[in-house]
Amino acid sequence: MLTRRDVLQKCVALGSVVIASQFSPEAMLAAFQDREKQVRQPTPPNELGPFYKRLTPVNNMLRAPGDPGMPLTLFGQVFDTRGDIVPGATIEIWQTNHHGHYDLNGYRYRGKLNVDKSGAYSFESVVPGHYPDRICQHTHYLVMAPGHRTLVTQLYFATDPVFEGDPTKNYARDPLLQTPELIRPVMLTGDPNEVHAKVQFELCLGRL
Amino acid sequence: MRPNIASLSVLCCLPMTLLAQSARQEKTISLPARASVEAVSVSQTGNLIAAICSDHVVRVWSVSSGEPVRSLEEKNESPNAAQFSTDGRLLAVAYQIVQYEKGAIRVFDVDLWKEQYDLAAPFSMYALAFSPGKRRLAFSHLNTEIWDFGSGKNLTDISPPFGGSAAMSFSPDGKWVATADGDGFVRVYDANTGTLRGTPTEFLLEPLAVAFSPDGKTVLAGGADKVISIINPESGKVVRVFPRQSGLVSSLDVSANGKQAAVVYRSAESFVEANHVILWDLAKGTVLADFQKLGIVIVGGTFVSDHYVFVTASGNQLTLWSIP
Repeated sequence: MLTRRDVLQKCVALGSVVIASQFSPEAMLAAFQDREKQVRQPTPPNELGPFYKRLTPVNNMLRAPGDPGMPLTLFGQVFDTRGDIVPGATIEIWQTNHHGHYDLNGYRYRGKLNVDKSGAYSFESVVPGHYPDRICQHTHYLVMAPGHRTLVTQLYFATDPVFEGDPTKNYARDPLLQTPELIRPVMLTGDPNEVHAKVQFELCLGRL
Repeated sequence: MRPNIASLSVLCCLPMTLLAQSARQEKTISLPARASVEAVSVSQTGNLIAAICSDHVVRVWSVSSGEPVRSLEEKNESPNAAQFSTDGRLLAVAYQIVQYEKGAIRVFDVDLWKEQYDLAAPFSMYALAFSPGKRRLAFSHLNTEIWDFGSGKNLTDISPPFGGSAAMSFSPDGKWVATADGDGFVRVYDANTGTLRGTPTEFLLEPLAVAFSPDGKTVLAGGADKVISIINPESGKVVRVFPRQSGLVSSLDVSANGKQAAVVYRSAESFVEANHVILWDLAKGTVLADFQKLGIVIVGGTFVSDHYVFVTASGNQLTLWSIP
Protein backbone atom coordinates (compact mmCIF):
# COMPACT_ATOMS: atom_id res chain seq x y z
CA MET A 1 0.00 0.00 0.00
CA LEU A 2 1.33 3.42 -0.93
CA THR A 3 2.01 5.88 1.84
CA ARG A 4 0.88 9.46 1.51
CA ARG A 5 4.52 10.38 0.84
CA ASP A 6 4.72 7.76 -1.93
CA VAL A 7 1.62 9.21 -3.51
CA LEU A 8 3.04 12.71 -3.42
CA GLN A 9 6.34 11.58 -4.90
CA LYS A 10 4.42 9.83 -7.67
CA CYS A 11 2.48 13.04 -8.28
CA VAL A 12 5.77 14.90 -8.67
CA ALA A 13 7.07 12.25 -11.08
CA LEU A 14 3.90 12.41 -13.18
CA GLY A 15 3.75 16.18 -13.16
CA SER A 16 0.52 16.55 -11.24
CA VAL A 17 2.51 18.38 -8.58
CA VAL A 18 5.08 20.86 -9.84
CA ILE A 19 7.64 22.14 -7.38
CA ALA A 20 8.99 25.57 -8.22
CA SER A 21 11.09 26.44 -5.22
CA GLN A 22 14.68 26.81 -4.11
CA PHE A 23 14.01 24.05 -1.53
CA SER A 24 14.35 20.36 -2.26
CA PRO A 25 11.29 18.38 -3.40
CA GLU A 26 11.57 16.32 -0.20
CA ALA A 27 11.44 19.41 1.98
CA MET A 28 8.52 20.83 0.03
CA LEU A 29 6.59 17.54 0.19
CA ALA A 30 7.19 17.30 3.91
CA ALA A 31 5.97 20.86 4.37
CA PHE A 32 2.94 20.11 2.17
CA GLN A 33 2.10 17.09 4.31
CA ASP A 34 2.47 19.11 7.49
CA ARG A 35 0.21 21.84 6.14
CA GLU A 36 -2.38 19.26 5.13
CA LYS A 37 -2.36 17.86 8.63
CA GLN A 38 -2.88 21.29 10.11
CA VAL A 39 -6.16 21.88 8.31
CA ARG A 40 -7.99 19.01 10.03
CA GLN A 41 -10.91 20.55 11.84
CA PRO A 42 -12.08 19.41 15.27
CA THR A 43 -15.19 17.24 15.25
CA PRO A 44 -18.17 19.54 15.78
CA PRO A 45 -19.54 19.42 19.33
CA ASN A 46 -23.14 18.55 20.03
CA GLU A 47 -25.35 18.56 23.11
CA LEU A 48 -24.46 16.32 26.05
CA GLY A 49 -28.13 15.61 26.74
CA PRO A 50 -29.50 14.72 30.17
CA PHE A 51 -28.63 11.01 30.23
CA TYR A 52 -24.87 10.87 30.54
CA LYS A 53 -24.01 8.47 33.37
CA ARG A 54 -20.81 8.51 35.38
CA LEU A 55 -18.75 5.41 36.13
CA THR A 56 -19.64 3.61 32.92
CA PRO A 57 -17.62 0.37 32.96
CA VAL A 58 -14.93 -0.31 30.37
CA ASN A 59 -16.76 -2.37 27.80
CA ASN A 60 -17.11 -2.18 24.05
CA MET A 61 -19.71 -4.94 23.64
CA LEU A 62 -22.95 -3.09 24.28
CA ARG A 63 -25.41 -5.55 22.78
CA ALA A 64 -26.26 -8.85 24.38
CA PRO A 65 -27.17 -12.03 22.49
CA GLY A 66 -30.79 -11.90 21.41
CA ASP A 67 -31.15 -8.14 21.78
CA PRO A 68 -33.62 -6.74 19.26
CA GLY A 69 -32.35 -4.38 16.59
CA MET A 70 -29.82 -4.38 13.80
CA PRO A 71 -26.29 -5.14 15.01
CA LEU A 72 -24.07 -2.11 14.65
CA THR A 73 -20.32 -1.61 14.74
CA LEU A 74 -19.11 1.92 15.44
CA PHE A 75 -15.46 2.38 14.64
CA GLY A 76 -12.85 4.95 13.75
CA GLN A 77 -9.71 6.66 14.95
CA VAL A 78 -8.96 9.59 17.20
CA PHE A 79 -6.82 12.37 15.73
CA ASP A 80 -5.84 15.85 16.76
CA THR A 81 -6.08 18.91 14.57
CA ARG A 82 -2.57 18.31 13.21
CA GLY A 83 -3.66 14.90 12.00
CA ASP A 84 -1.62 13.06 14.60
CA ILE A 85 -3.02 9.97 16.28
CA VAL A 86 -4.13 10.59 19.87
CA PRO A 87 -3.11 7.55 21.88
CA GLY A 88 -4.48 7.35 25.39
CA ALA A 89 -7.82 8.89 24.51
CA THR A 90 -10.86 7.61 26.38
CA ILE A 91 -14.17 7.29 24.56
CA GLU A 92 -17.54 6.86 26.24
CA ILE A 93 -20.70 6.29 24.25
CA TRP A 94 -24.33 5.97 25.28
CA GLN A 95 -27.51 5.57 23.32
CA THR A 96 -31.02 4.17 23.46
CA ASN A 97 -31.77 0.55 22.79
CA HIS A 98 -33.62 -0.53 19.67
CA HIS A 99 -36.90 0.66 21.21
CA GLY A 100 -35.69 4.18 21.97
CA HIS A 101 -35.22 3.78 25.74
CA TYR A 102 -32.19 4.91 27.71
CA ASP A 103 -31.16 2.68 30.60
CA LEU A 104 -31.08 4.95 33.65
CA ASN A 105 -30.95 2.14 36.20
CA GLY A 106 -27.96 0.26 34.82
CA TYR A 107 -25.42 0.56 32.04
CA ARG A 108 -27.10 -1.12 29.05
CA TYR A 109 -26.04 0.53 25.81
CA ARG A 110 -23.37 2.47 27.62
CA GLY A 111 -19.73 1.70 26.97
CA LYS A 112 -16.25 3.02 27.49
CA LEU A 113 -12.82 2.17 26.13
CA ASN A 114 -9.30 3.44 25.85
CA VAL A 115 -8.12 3.75 22.27
CA ASP A 116 -5.12 1.67 21.25
CA LYS A 117 -1.74 2.92 19.98
CA SER A 118 -3.11 3.38 16.49
CA GLY A 119 -5.82 5.66 17.88
CA ALA A 120 -8.44 3.13 16.78
CA TYR A 121 -11.65 2.25 18.55
CA SER A 122 -14.72 0.12 17.96
CA PHE A 123 -17.96 -0.55 19.81
CA GLU A 124 -20.49 -3.29 19.15
CA SER A 125 -24.06 -2.07 19.60
CA VAL A 126 -27.38 -1.98 17.77
CA VAL A 127 -28.76 0.81 15.64
CA PRO A 128 -30.44 3.04 18.26
CA GLY A 129 -34.17 3.57 18.22
CA HIS A 130 -35.86 6.95 18.15
CA TYR A 131 -35.99 8.60 21.57
CA PRO A 132 -39.47 10.18 21.66
CA ASP A 133 -38.26 13.76 22.17
CA ARG A 134 -35.65 13.67 19.45
CA ILE A 135 -36.15 13.75 15.75
CA CYS A 136 -33.06 11.72 14.86
CA GLN A 137 -31.52 8.44 15.95
CA HIS A 138 -28.20 9.23 17.58
CA THR A 139 -25.33 7.91 19.67
CA HIS A 140 -23.68 10.17 22.24
CA TYR A 141 -19.88 10.44 22.39
CA LEU A 142 -17.62 11.82 25.10
CA VAL A 143 -13.93 11.82 24.15
CA MET A 144 -11.19 12.87 26.54
CA ALA A 145 -7.42 12.86 26.16
CA PRO A 146 -4.64 14.61 28.08
CA GLY A 147 -3.56 17.83 26.38
CA HIS A 148 -6.70 18.01 24.26
CA ARG A 149 -10.09 19.63 24.50
CA THR A 150 -12.82 17.31 25.71
CA LEU A 151 -15.24 16.53 22.92
CA VAL A 152 -18.95 16.07 23.60
CA THR A 153 -20.82 15.20 20.45
CA GLN A 154 -23.37 12.93 18.84
CA LEU A 155 -23.23 10.63 15.84
CA TYR A 156 -26.19 10.52 13.47
CA PHE A 157 -27.07 7.95 10.84
CA ALA A 158 -27.50 8.80 7.16
CA THR A 159 -30.12 6.06 6.91
CA ASP A 160 -32.39 7.86 9.40
CA PRO A 161 -35.76 8.25 7.62
CA VAL A 162 -35.94 11.88 8.67
CA PHE A 163 -33.16 12.76 6.19
CA GLU A 164 -35.05 11.17 3.30
CA GLY A 165 -31.76 9.95 1.89
CA ASP A 166 -30.28 13.45 1.65
CA PRO A 167 -28.63 14.41 4.96
CA THR A 168 -26.83 17.38 3.45
CA LYS A 169 -30.13 18.94 2.51
CA ASN A 170 -32.28 17.80 5.41
CA TYR A 171 -29.97 17.78 8.43
CA ALA A 172 -31.59 20.89 9.95
CA ARG A 173 -34.83 19.01 10.50
CA ASP A 174 -33.36 18.20 13.90
CA PRO A 175 -32.89 21.56 15.64
CA LEU A 176 -29.95 20.16 17.60
CA LEU A 177 -28.08 19.34 14.42
CA GLN A 178 -26.12 22.35 13.19
CA THR A 179 -24.02 20.55 10.60
CA PRO A 180 -24.30 17.49 8.34
CA GLU A 181 -20.74 16.53 9.34
CA LEU A 182 -22.05 14.48 12.24
CA ILE A 183 -24.25 12.36 9.96
CA ARG A 184 -22.29 9.34 8.80
CA PRO A 185 -22.96 6.83 6.03
CA VAL A 186 -24.04 3.36 7.05
CA MET A 187 -22.37 0.31 5.50
CA LEU A 188 -24.44 -2.84 5.41
CA THR A 189 -22.52 -6.11 5.58
CA GLY A 190 -23.36 -9.75 6.11
CA ASP A 191 -26.10 -11.50 4.20
CA PRO A 192 -29.86 -10.99 3.92
CA ASN A 193 -30.38 -13.32 6.89
CA GLU A 194 -28.01 -11.43 9.13
CA VAL A 195 -27.52 -7.85 8.09
CA HIS A 196 -24.94 -5.92 10.10
CA ALA A 197 -24.48 -2.15 10.00
CA LYS A 198 -21.09 -0.47 10.26
CA VAL A 199 -20.46 3.22 10.74
CA GLN A 200 -17.09 4.89 10.64
CA PHE A 201 -16.82 8.00 12.78
CA GLU A 202 -13.40 9.64 12.88
CA LEU A 203 -12.92 11.88 15.88
CA CYS A 204 -10.72 14.95 15.89
CA LEU A 205 -9.83 16.69 19.13
CA GLY A 206 -8.68 20.29 19.46
CA ARG A 207 -5.36 20.76 21.24
CA LEU A 208 -5.14 22.67 24.49
CA MET B 1 -59.35 24.97 48.80
CA ARG B 2 -62.01 25.50 46.17
CA PRO B 3 -62.45 22.91 43.42
CA ASN B 4 -62.36 24.14 39.86
CA ILE B 5 -64.04 22.97 36.70
CA ALA B 6 -60.81 22.05 34.95
CA SER B 7 -59.58 19.73 37.64
CA LEU B 8 -63.03 18.18 38.10
CA SER B 9 -63.40 17.44 34.41
CA VAL B 10 -60.03 15.72 34.37
CA LEU B 11 -60.95 13.89 37.57
CA CYS B 12 -63.82 12.16 35.80
CA CYS B 13 -61.67 10.45 33.19
CA LEU B 14 -58.22 10.07 34.73
CA PRO B 15 -57.88 8.52 38.16
CA MET B 16 -54.20 9.47 38.30
CA THR B 17 -55.16 13.14 38.42
CA LEU B 18 -57.11 12.81 41.65
CA LEU B 19 -54.31 14.69 43.31
CA ALA B 20 -54.75 17.59 40.91
CA GLN B 21 -57.13 19.01 43.49
CA SER B 22 -54.05 20.19 45.31
CA ALA B 23 -53.44 22.94 42.78
CA ARG B 24 -55.78 25.80 42.08
CA GLN B 25 -56.19 27.13 38.56
CA GLU B 26 -55.81 30.88 38.80
CA LYS B 27 -55.76 32.26 35.32
CA THR B 28 -55.56 31.33 31.65
CA ILE B 29 -53.72 33.42 29.08
CA SER B 30 -54.00 32.93 25.33
CA LEU B 31 -51.07 33.58 23.03
CA PRO B 32 -51.32 34.54 19.37
CA ALA B 33 -52.16 31.62 17.09
CA ARG B 34 -49.13 29.49 16.19
CA ALA B 35 -47.09 30.86 19.11
CA SER B 36 -46.21 28.52 21.93
CA VAL B 37 -44.25 28.97 25.13
CA GLU B 38 -40.87 27.38 25.69
CA ALA B 39 -40.01 28.67 29.17
CA VAL B 40 -41.41 30.99 31.78
CA SER B 41 -40.02 33.00 34.68
CA VAL B 42 -42.40 33.97 37.47
CA SER B 43 -41.49 36.98 39.55
CA GLN B 44 -41.10 36.08 43.23
CA THR B 45 -43.11 39.18 44.05
CA GLY B 46 -45.96 37.51 42.24
CA ASN B 47 -46.84 40.38 39.95
CA LEU B 48 -45.35 39.39 36.58
CA ILE B 49 -44.65 36.38 34.41
CA ALA B 50 -42.30 36.50 31.41
CA ALA B 51 -42.43 33.87 28.69
CA ILE B 52 -39.99 32.90 25.96
CA CYS B 53 -42.26 32.29 22.98
CA SER B 54 -41.63 30.23 19.87
CA ASP B 55 -42.11 33.30 17.65
CA HIS B 56 -38.93 34.83 19.21
CA VAL B 57 -40.87 37.28 21.36
CA VAL B 58 -40.57 37.65 25.14
CA ARG B 59 -44.06 38.38 26.43
CA VAL B 60 -44.69 39.73 29.91
CA TRP B 61 -48.07 39.60 31.62
CA SER B 62 -49.52 40.92 34.85
CA VAL B 63 -50.34 38.01 37.14
CA SER B 64 -53.26 39.77 38.78
CA SER B 65 -55.06 40.83 35.61
CA GLY B 66 -53.66 38.39 33.04
CA GLU B 67 -53.21 41.38 30.74
CA PRO B 68 -50.06 41.81 28.62
CA VAL B 69 -47.57 44.28 30.05
CA ARG B 70 -44.74 44.21 27.54
CA SER B 71 -43.43 42.45 24.45
CA LEU B 72 -39.69 42.37 23.90
CA GLU B 73 -38.69 41.63 20.35
CA GLU B 74 -35.36 42.13 18.64
CA LYS B 75 -34.89 41.71 14.92
CA ASN B 76 -32.73 38.70 14.02
CA GLU B 77 -32.41 37.73 17.68
CA SER B 78 -33.90 34.73 19.34
CA PRO B 79 -34.50 34.71 23.12
CA ASN B 80 -33.79 31.40 24.84
CA ALA B 81 -33.83 32.10 28.59
CA ALA B 82 -35.37 34.66 30.95
CA GLN B 83 -35.13 35.20 34.68
CA PHE B 84 -36.49 37.77 37.12
CA SER B 85 -34.28 39.03 39.93
CA THR B 86 -35.33 37.87 43.40
CA ASP B 87 -36.93 41.27 44.16
CA GLY B 88 -38.75 41.23 40.82
CA ARG B 89 -37.27 44.56 39.70
CA LEU B 90 -35.02 43.24 36.93
CA LEU B 91 -35.60 40.82 34.09
CA ALA B 92 -32.60 39.22 32.38
CA VAL B 93 -33.14 37.80 28.90
CA ALA B 94 -30.57 35.72 27.01
CA TYR B 95 -30.65 36.16 23.24
CA GLN B 96 -29.08 34.23 20.41
CA ILE B 97 -27.87 36.57 17.68
CA VAL B 98 -28.09 34.05 14.88
CA GLN B 99 -26.43 36.16 12.20
CA TYR B 100 -23.17 36.43 14.17
CA GLU B 101 -23.42 33.16 16.10
CA LYS B 102 -23.00 34.98 19.37
CA GLY B 103 -25.22 35.77 22.30
CA ALA B 104 -26.23 38.68 24.49
CA ILE B 105 -27.85 39.06 27.86
CA ARG B 106 -30.02 42.14 28.28
CA VAL B 107 -31.16 43.16 31.72
CA PHE B 108 -34.30 45.31 31.91
CA ASP B 109 -35.68 47.46 34.70
CA VAL B 110 -39.27 46.22 34.79
CA ASP B 111 -40.68 49.46 36.21
CA LEU B 112 -39.45 51.61 33.35
CA TRP B 113 -38.84 48.82 30.82
CA LYS B 114 -35.47 50.37 30.22
CA GLU B 115 -32.46 48.29 29.31
CA GLN B 116 -29.98 48.50 32.19
CA TYR B 117 -27.22 46.22 30.99
CA ASP B 118 -26.22 44.61 27.73
CA LEU B 119 -23.71 41.82 28.31
CA ALA B 120 -21.79 39.90 25.66
CA ALA B 121 -22.46 36.20 26.03
CA PRO B 122 -21.94 32.91 24.26
CA PHE B 123 -24.48 31.85 21.68
CA SER B 124 -26.56 29.45 23.68
CA MET B 125 -27.54 29.79 27.33
CA TYR B 126 -28.73 26.95 29.52
CA ALA B 127 -29.63 28.85 32.68
CA LEU B 128 -29.66 32.28 34.34
CA ALA B 129 -29.63 33.02 38.08
CA PHE B 130 -29.63 36.30 40.01
CA SER B 131 -28.05 36.58 43.42
CA PRO B 132 -30.31 37.92 46.18
CA GLY B 133 -29.99 41.68 46.18
CA LYS B 134 -29.51 41.52 42.39
CA ARG B 135 -25.83 42.30 42.65
CA ARG B 136 -24.78 39.39 40.50
CA LEU B 137 -25.99 37.32 37.60
CA ALA B 138 -24.74 33.84 36.81
CA PHE B 139 -25.23 32.51 33.32
CA SER B 140 -24.41 29.09 32.08
CA HIS B 141 -23.50 27.68 28.72
CA LEU B 142 -20.55 25.29 28.54
CA ASN B 143 -18.97 27.47 31.20
CA THR B 144 -20.68 29.36 33.96
CA GLU B 145 -19.83 33.03 34.22
CA ILE B 146 -20.66 35.32 37.10
CA TRP B 147 -21.28 38.96 36.29
CA ASP B 148 -21.08 41.62 38.99
CA PHE B 149 -23.30 44.62 38.28
CA GLY B 150 -21.53 46.86 40.80
CA SER B 151 -18.11 46.60 39.22
CA GLY B 152 -19.38 45.92 35.71
CA LYS B 153 -17.01 42.98 35.53
CA ASN B 154 -17.10 39.30 34.92
CA LEU B 155 -15.99 38.02 38.32
CA THR B 156 -15.18 34.49 37.42
CA ASP B 157 -15.63 31.71 34.95
CA ILE B 158 -16.38 28.38 36.57
CA SER B 159 -16.27 25.54 34.11
CA PRO B 160 -17.11 21.93 34.78
CA PRO B 161 -14.88 19.61 32.76
CA PHE B 162 -17.65 19.16 30.22
CA GLY B 163 -21.39 19.46 29.74
CA GLY B 164 -22.04 22.89 31.27
CA SER B 165 -24.45 23.56 34.12
CA ALA B 166 -28.17 22.90 33.91
CA ALA B 167 -29.01 25.01 36.96
CA MET B 168 -27.42 27.41 39.42
CA SER B 169 -28.36 28.89 42.78
CA PHE B 170 -26.76 31.62 44.87
CA SER B 171 -26.55 31.43 48.64
CA PRO B 172 -28.73 34.02 50.42
CA ASP B 173 -25.70 36.26 51.05
CA GLY B 174 -24.58 35.94 47.42
CA LYS B 175 -21.13 34.68 48.43
CA TRP B 176 -21.54 31.15 47.12
CA VAL B 177 -23.01 29.67 44.00
CA ALA B 178 -24.07 26.06 43.56
CA THR B 179 -24.14 24.50 40.10
CA ALA B 180 -25.78 21.30 38.80
CA ASP B 181 -23.29 20.11 36.21
CA GLY B 182 -23.62 17.89 33.16
CA ASP B 183 -20.68 15.71 34.21
CA GLY B 184 -22.71 14.39 37.15
CA PHE B 185 -21.58 16.63 40.01
CA VAL B 186 -23.03 19.38 42.13
CA ARG B 187 -20.37 21.97 42.89
CA VAL B 188 -20.35 24.93 45.25
CA TYR B 189 -18.01 27.81 44.42
CA ASP B 190 -16.92 31.04 45.99
CA ALA B 191 -18.85 33.46 43.76
CA ASN B 192 -16.08 36.08 43.97
CA THR B 193 -13.13 33.93 43.02
CA GLY B 194 -14.54 30.78 41.48
CA THR B 195 -12.71 28.67 44.06
CA LEU B 196 -14.35 25.31 44.64
CA ARG B 197 -15.73 25.02 48.16
CA GLY B 198 -15.29 21.54 49.59
CA THR B 199 -15.69 18.40 47.56
CA PRO B 200 -18.12 18.13 44.66
CA THR B 201 -21.15 16.00 45.38
CA GLU B 202 -21.40 12.94 43.17
CA PHE B 203 -24.48 11.85 41.31
CA LEU B 204 -24.47 9.08 38.74
CA LEU B 205 -26.74 10.73 36.19
CA GLU B 206 -26.90 14.44 35.52
CA PRO B 207 -28.19 16.68 38.32
CA LEU B 208 -30.71 19.03 36.71
CA ALA B 209 -31.84 21.18 39.64
CA VAL B 210 -30.14 22.88 42.56
CA ALA B 211 -31.32 25.30 45.24
CA PHE B 212 -29.77 26.84 48.33
CA SER B 213 -31.95 26.77 51.44
CA PRO B 214 -32.93 30.26 52.67
CA ASP B 215 -30.59 29.96 55.66
CA GLY B 216 -27.69 29.03 53.37
CA LYS B 217 -26.88 25.94 55.44
CA THR B 218 -27.90 23.31 52.91
CA VAL B 219 -28.19 22.81 49.18
CA LEU B 220 -30.95 20.73 47.65
CA ALA B 221 -30.17 18.95 44.41
CA GLY B 222 -31.84 16.41 42.17
CA GLY B 223 -31.86 15.19 38.61
CA ALA B 224 -31.94 12.20 36.33
CA ASP B 225 -31.04 9.87 39.23
CA LYS B 226 -34.60 10.46 40.55
CA VAL B 227 -33.32 11.42 43.98
CA ILE B 228 -33.42 14.61 46.00
CA SER B 229 -30.29 15.04 48.07
CA ILE B 230 -29.71 17.56 50.82
CA ILE B 231 -26.07 18.56 50.78
CA ASN B 232 -23.79 20.30 53.24
CA PRO B 233 -22.31 23.02 51.01
CA GLU B 234 -19.08 23.20 53.00
CA SER B 235 -18.16 19.53 52.86
CA GLY B 236 -20.09 18.51 49.77
CA LYS B 237 -21.42 15.55 51.73
CA VAL B 238 -25.00 14.38 51.33
CA VAL B 239 -26.65 14.70 54.73
CA ARG B 240 -30.03 13.36 53.76
CA VAL B 241 -31.74 11.71 50.81
CA PHE B 242 -35.44 11.80 50.13
CA PRO B 243 -37.25 8.62 49.08
CA ARG B 244 -36.75 7.68 45.43
CA GLN B 245 -38.77 10.05 43.29
CA SER B 246 -41.27 9.09 40.63
CA GLY B 247 -39.56 11.02 37.85
CA LEU B 248 -36.50 12.98 36.86
CA VAL B 249 -36.11 15.99 39.13
CA SER B 250 -36.31 18.91 36.73
CA SER B 251 -36.56 21.92 39.04
CA LEU B 252 -36.41 22.62 42.76
CA ASP B 253 -37.65 25.67 44.65
CA VAL B 254 -37.48 26.17 48.40
CA SER B 255 -40.03 28.35 50.22
CA ALA B 256 -38.82 31.49 51.97
CA ASN B 257 -39.34 29.91 55.39
CA GLY B 258 -37.30 26.90 54.33
CA LYS B 259 -40.05 24.47 55.28
CA GLN B 260 -41.25 23.40 51.84
CA ALA B 261 -39.76 22.44 48.51
CA ALA B 262 -41.62 22.39 45.21
CA VAL B 263 -40.27 19.78 42.81
CA VAL B 264 -41.15 19.52 39.13
CA TYR B 265 -40.63 16.13 37.52
CA ARG B 266 -39.93 15.03 33.97
CA SER B 267 -40.45 11.65 32.39
CA ALA B 268 -37.40 9.55 31.49
CA GLU B 269 -39.30 8.16 28.50
CA SER B 270 -39.94 11.65 27.14
CA PHE B 271 -37.85 14.43 28.59
CA VAL B 272 -40.18 17.22 27.42
CA GLU B 273 -43.00 15.67 29.43
CA ALA B 274 -42.98 17.78 32.62
CA ASN B 275 -46.48 17.57 33.99
CA HIS B 276 -45.98 16.66 37.62
CA VAL B 277 -45.22 18.82 40.65
CA ILE B 278 -45.02 17.78 44.31
CA LEU B 279 -44.84 20.05 47.31
CA TRP B 280 -42.67 18.43 50.00
CA ASP B 281 -42.49 19.08 53.72
CA LEU B 282 -38.73 19.28 54.11
CA ALA B 283 -38.58 18.49 57.83
CA LYS B 284 -40.84 15.43 57.69
CA GLY B 285 -40.08 14.31 54.14
CA THR B 286 -43.80 13.99 53.45
CA VAL B 287 -45.91 15.08 50.49
CA LEU B 288 -48.02 18.16 51.14
CA ALA B 289 -49.52 18.48 47.69
CA ASP B 290 -49.31 16.60 44.42
CA PHE B 291 -50.42 17.78 41.00
CA GLN B 292 -50.21 15.90 37.73
CA LYS B 293 -52.13 16.51 34.55
CA LEU B 294 -51.73 14.92 31.15
CA GLY B 295 -51.44 17.09 28.08
CA ILE B 296 -49.70 20.01 29.75
CA VAL B 297 -46.08 21.01 30.28
CA ILE B 298 -44.93 22.84 33.41
CA VAL B 299 -42.80 25.66 32.02
CA GLY B 300 -41.87 27.59 35.17
CA GLY B 301 -42.71 28.31 38.76
CA THR B 302 -41.60 29.91 42.00
CA PHE B 303 -42.65 30.48 45.58
CA VAL B 304 -44.58 33.71 46.05
CA SER B 305 -44.59 34.37 49.81
CA ASP B 306 -45.92 31.10 51.25
CA HIS B 307 -47.48 29.45 48.20
CA TYR B 308 -46.06 27.89 45.07
CA VAL B 309 -47.10 29.46 41.77
CA PHE B 310 -46.43 27.63 38.53
CA VAL B 311 -47.31 27.95 34.88
CA THR B 312 -48.35 25.23 32.46
CA ALA B 313 -48.48 25.41 28.69
CA SER B 314 -50.73 23.58 26.30
CA GLY B 315 -50.71 24.67 22.68
CA ASN B 316 -50.97 28.42 22.63
CA GLN B 317 -52.49 28.63 26.08
CA LEU B 318 -50.78 29.34 29.40
CA THR B 319 -52.40 28.49 32.69
CA LEU B 320 -51.36 29.88 36.03
CA TRP B 321 -51.78 27.59 39.04
CA SER B 322 -51.10 27.95 42.73
CA ILE B 323 -50.58 25.48 45.55
CA PRO B 324 -51.48 27.11 48.86
